[in-house]
Amino acid sequence: MNHRHVLAAVAATLALGAALTGSRTTDVATLARQIQHEDDHVTALELAQWIKDRKPGLRVLDIRSDSEFNEFHIPSAERLPLEELTKLRPKGNETLVLYSEGGAHAAQGWVLLRSVGFDKVYFLKGGLLDWMDDVMSPMIPEAGISPASDSMRVRVGALSRYFGGLPRVGIVPLSGTHAQPASLSASIARTRRRGC
Amino acid sequence: MSDRAPRPYSDPYLTGVALGLVLLAAYVFAGRGLGASGAFATVAAGAVNATSPGAARANFWFADHLDAGSFWRDWLVVELAGVVIGAWISAKLAHRVQLVVERGAGTTVRGRVAAAASGGAVMGVGAVLARGCTSGQALTGGALLSVGSWTFIAGAFGAAYVVAFVRRGAWS
Amino acid sequence: MMAFIIGLAFGACLERSGLGSAKKLMGQFNLTDLAVFKVMFSAIITAMLGMFWLSRFGLVDVTRVYVPETFILPQLVGGVVFGAGFALAGLCPGTSCVAAASGRGDGLAVVLGMFAGVLGFGFVLPSIETFYSSTSRGALTLPTVLGMSQGGVVLLIVFAALVGFVVAEWLEQRPGTPT
Repeated sequence: MNHRHVLAAVAATLALGAALTGSRTTDVATLARQIQHEDDHVTALELAQWIKDRKPGLRVLDIRSDSEFNEFHIPSAERLPLEELTKLRPKGNETLVLYSEGGAHAAQGWVLLRSVGFDKVYFLKGGLLDWMDDVMSPMIPEAGISPASDSMRVRVGALSRYFGGLPRVGIVPLSGTHAQPASLSASIARTRRRGC
Repeated sequence: MSDRAPRPYSDPYLTGVALGLVLLAAYVFAGRGLGASGAFATVAAGAVNATSPGAARANFWFADHLDAGSFWRDWLVVELAGVVIGAWISAKLAHRVQLVVERGAGTTVRGRVAAAASGGAVMGVGAVLARGCTSGQALTGGALLSVGSWTFIAGAFGAAYVVAFVRRGAWS
Repeated sequence: MMAFIIGLAFGACLERSGLGSAKKLMGQFNLTDLAVFKVMFSAIITAMLGMFWLSRFGLVDVTRVYVPETFILPQLVGGVVFGAGFALAGLCPGTSCVAAASGRGDGLAVVLGMFAGVLGFGFVLPSIETFYSSTSRGALTLPTVLGMSQGGVVLLIVFAALVGFVVAEWLEQRPGTPT
């Protein structure tokens, strides 16, 4: 036997073994790993950036009720009830982002879509509540704290204003119209989960 | 190492296995396969951007390549630089570096260079459409069982046999 | 840095196997020297088996590896155009760089032609964007299309390649075939 026969025999054995063991690559374990790696969601700021950049193939799906959708939805979103998700068929260059009020329904929708073969699908972490907090009325640092914080300030501020939001600066009260709570924790408590 | 004669090429199966291991290393350590034409695309996009940033931005395909990251850090460009240097070292060690224009007996140097340049241009068009070449599609996608990559392999080899048959005189 | 090391190894493998030589590559298409097929399919089955077994034992996470997306029509047409150019040039993009690096003028000509082709076609592409992104199927793989397990497809390809190697050896041994 020369090396060619050895190589051929090794390849044949490994291939036979492969056919017999089957695969465990496209199943629940894969989904679990993606969830572990946090590859399953996007943050509100990431989604805002995608919409603003007109990311090719992006489809934002609102899985809440009709009345909730009519009251407010993320710009460019289309409404699609959870039960109709399974009727979607994968299209190559589409990236789907699901969102619900708090995020739980969208996360469940993510599992549904992934298990029927969608690859590029995400859910909005924290749902519409996070969108309200982090895009529509984000807290941005005061100017001049550090270059990094300034670039964040400019980026988040611009993104928020693009969607008609109102960025709020640090814990220092804005002059005039907006009354601000005095302490940081009160400010956060008020900013988080103001009913929307 | 007294003789300076070019040494014969290595066994195709063994080098194939070695190449497969390099590809595997690329999957494992870089999360992607190998490529060559993509580096050309990045350089082309970089060149357009350098002369006319507006034109580069207006073209969705150039813009895509610019957004992929800064030019000198682009994975494929660095990889292809490695290919050139790796090939040169390997050829040097085996005394195979020769300044020649390889051609069939019945072909002039000028004819060969013209065929090479025009073939290269046609191949560039095909690689753009197919989103990759023999390295990026056939090898990388082939081993990952991508349907598009196997479609590309079928199309490319089919066409290559037809053209090679039509031009069979050029290399005899 | 990783990219550079992998590139070095890639270039060295191509050079050692002789794929930096247009004459050798054309032997594939004139069925006199099938090194291209042997090297390419040895590499494909090695990497494919490696990926399968590494992921089977949980040593590598396949979801982290980028699978080239499928766009059936543009890739078929692109493949045909590419193949025609390949046979005309005698070298493919990767091997033309190898050829140029080992001092071959024809390799350099292919590299320059290729660059011109990519650059020129880049300007034309927006006008055929619809075709370019048509028949898109995402990261579609053969097991899904064939309705087979991944291992089954791996077995099929490995055996097809092994049969191909036997045929290749036979073609090269034919009487009247220069070696």
